Amino acid sequence: MTASNTPARVRHPLVKTLSAAAALSLALTACGGSSEPASGGDGNVTLSVTVWNMAKTPEFKALFDAFEAANPGIKIKPVDILADDYAEKVTTMLAGGDKTDVITMKNVTDYSRYSSRGQLQELTDLAKSGDAANLAGLDAFNVGEKYFALPYRQDFWLLYYNKTYFDKAGVKAPETLTWDEYAKLAQQLTKDEGGKKVYGTYHHTWRSVVQAISAAQTGGDQLSGEYSFFTDQYNVALGVQKSGSTLDFGTAMAQKSDYKTLFETGATAMLPMGTWYISALLDAKKNGKTDVEWALAPMPQRPGGSGVTTFGSPTAFAVNKKAEHADAAKKFVQFAAGKAGAEAISKVGVVPALQSPEITSAYFALDGMPTDEVSKKAFEPDKVNLEMPVSENTSDIDTILREEHELIMVGDKPVADGIKSMNERVKSEVLN
Amino acid sequence: MAHVATPPAPTAPPHRRRAWRDILVGWSFILPNFVGFALFTLLPMLAAFALAFLDWDSYSTPEWVGLENFQQLWADENFHVALRNTLYYAAGHIPLTLVAALGLAIALNRKLRGVAFFRTAAFFPYITSLVAVAIVWNTLFNPTAGPVNQVLEALGVASPPKWVASTDWAMPSVIITSVWRDMGYYMVLYLAGLQTIPKEYYEAARVDGASAWQRFWNITLPCLRPTTFFVIVMLTIQSFKVLDLIVVMTDGGPGRSTLVLAQLVYREGITEGKFGYSSAVALVLFVIVLTVTVVQFRINERRSAR
Repeated sequence: MTASNTPARVRHPLVKTLSAAAALSLALTACGGSSEPASGGDGNVTLSVTVWNMAKTPEFKALFDAFEAANPGIKIKPVDILADDYAEKVTTMLAGGDKTDVITMKNVTDYSRYSSRGQLQELTDLAKSGDAANLAGLDAFNVGEKYFALPYRQDFWLLYYNKTYFDKAGVKAPETLTWDEYAKLAQQLTKDEGGKKVYGTYHHTWRSVVQAISAAQTGGDQLSGEYSFFTDQYNVALGVQKSGSTLDFGTAMAQKSDYKTLFETGATAMLPMGTWYISALLDAKKNGKTDVEWALAPMPQRPGGSGVTTFGSPTAFAVNKKAEHADAAKKFVQFAAGKAGAEAISKVGVVPALQSPEITSAYFALDGMPTDEVSKKAFEPDKVNLEMPVSENTSDIDTILREEHELIMVGDKPVADGIKSMNERVKSEVLN
Repeated sequence: MAHVATPPAPTAPPHRRRAWRDILVGWSFILPNFVGFALFTLLPMLAAFALAFLDWDSYSTPEWVGLENFQQLWADENFHVALRNTLYYAAGHIPLTLVAALGLAIALNRKLRGVAFFRTAAFFPYITSLVAVAIVWNTLFNPTAGPVNQVLEALGVASPPKWVASTDWAMPSVIITSVWRDMGYYMVLYLAGLQTIPKEYYEAARVDGASAWQRFWNITLPCLRPTTFFVIVMLTIQSFKVLDLIVVMTDGGPGRSTLVLAQLVYREGITEGKFGYSSAVALVLFVIVLTVTVVQFRINERRSAR
């Protein structure tokens, strides 16, 4: 009866024992080899790094190749993990005393868990030296003035659009849009193209599409238990949906819509999305999977605001507390966050955390990148706020906000009711 | 040979010794199976029961908290929602599957051209990958472009349900899919049951002038009682532990409208790392299923005694 659930739950202690046993046998066999050189030099160090979907995440290979070329004697052995299972797998590995050297922090929520459990080495000295001060998103890793990871990429949200549809409709590159103008534009661009429906825009089903942008632009706090600041953005999103200018939320959810497919087949004219999509889009274009003419624009803004505010989240490398090659691991983290690392990943279309005019211009020199001024401007938002603040309550609150988001978007709850239950549930279930 | 040589001293010991030997021999026969069971099922289950009284996040030392997990459970709205949804699912899935399976079995229990084909067709969903089933049904239930709603609109239904995109219809959608998938399996059980009913009963009833309906109520159903009992027990257990179909079709949504207990166990344990709390939910689920099953056995015993 419950037996079907038990193996999964008991997997952890079992894995713990097994990995402990494995670690023990490794330690025993490695006894004689303790004279291994610490790092660098011409000694041979094999550095292990956790990664996800290696084949489809080109920045890892780019970084590893660059690092190996710069550091002869250090070889990198990726530990490839399925992206969907990444957090759970890494949690289990660390709990089991695994000795993988470098742990990639896929998001800041997981980072806060690992660092508060003391599973990562302190990197404050690295964070305070050299170029590190210019790293976008570094603040997210500040835990009581200590740093346990350095970001190497920083994604943020902007607006992708289909140039062909804009030209046909006679619309200029949307440099500064308010949300109302954006909604009108979406409606204007919605049409039937020879029997094929083209939506003005596509809002993916993630709650961040409404909630994170609203928090970033109003200054609201998503952990506060008080969510009336979401109201305007929900009205915009529901208005766009009601006018038929975007794929209906329920439909998108039921068919598990893929924003990539929608944009690449020209089923949507605009798409608010993160910068991570650029590398995939460049790739699809290069391989002839799509012929869509695209460009970038800044995220639409609230009326009366100044400058461009959007949200984003950094990705970072950290060193395992139990790392076998701690010095080499630190070297790698510093390399990835530094100039050489930034150049290596920007070559494959990934946005590096280290931002400088040279790196940005090198980025836009990539084959297939749009070259207009608006795209370049979109790439330099004035303010990038963290997608979701980090605390011990983040993941519980995230679940509640996601559930209520679905209810509002499928039309089961009016905006006011949905926000009321967010307030009540977060207060009574999490913050009490 | 051995006990011929044994001196016929006191009477008790040899008897007792032989009994012991018999027991040991018996144990040695079940041992290979039991070791596997104990190691991979019994111990983990007992560990899970113990975990329900601990606070454990998989890396620190577990801490004894007594009944705290259960108090928290009682106050947890998610648990109440999941429990209600699980009962809702069971209340839909059990009777509908039962009726559908019995109907299919009776329809296919006759000499008909191509009956083997139809039986195979009915059994097919059961051996199809569940993920594929869930994805295909999700597409069918698509609120705007799905065939189900297109047919309904063609039939003149002005605003057909939004199925998996609506809180009211998400659970019925899951139930319909699961009935479609499971009915073939239980049909096979019913077909086997139907073939054990002696033909003479029907002949005798016909001679006495019983109608088809009367024959069904007074011969078929009573003779199928053991099968029905088995089917109900299996369906009950299956319904309460439903997880896979829901995870793929709706992932508990929209909102919490299809969140079930097994999913709560997974979410609290694996995702949130609250293994003690998650075990407490699992324990409650276990007790519920156990109680329902015991009650079903009691009712069955009483009926058979009549």
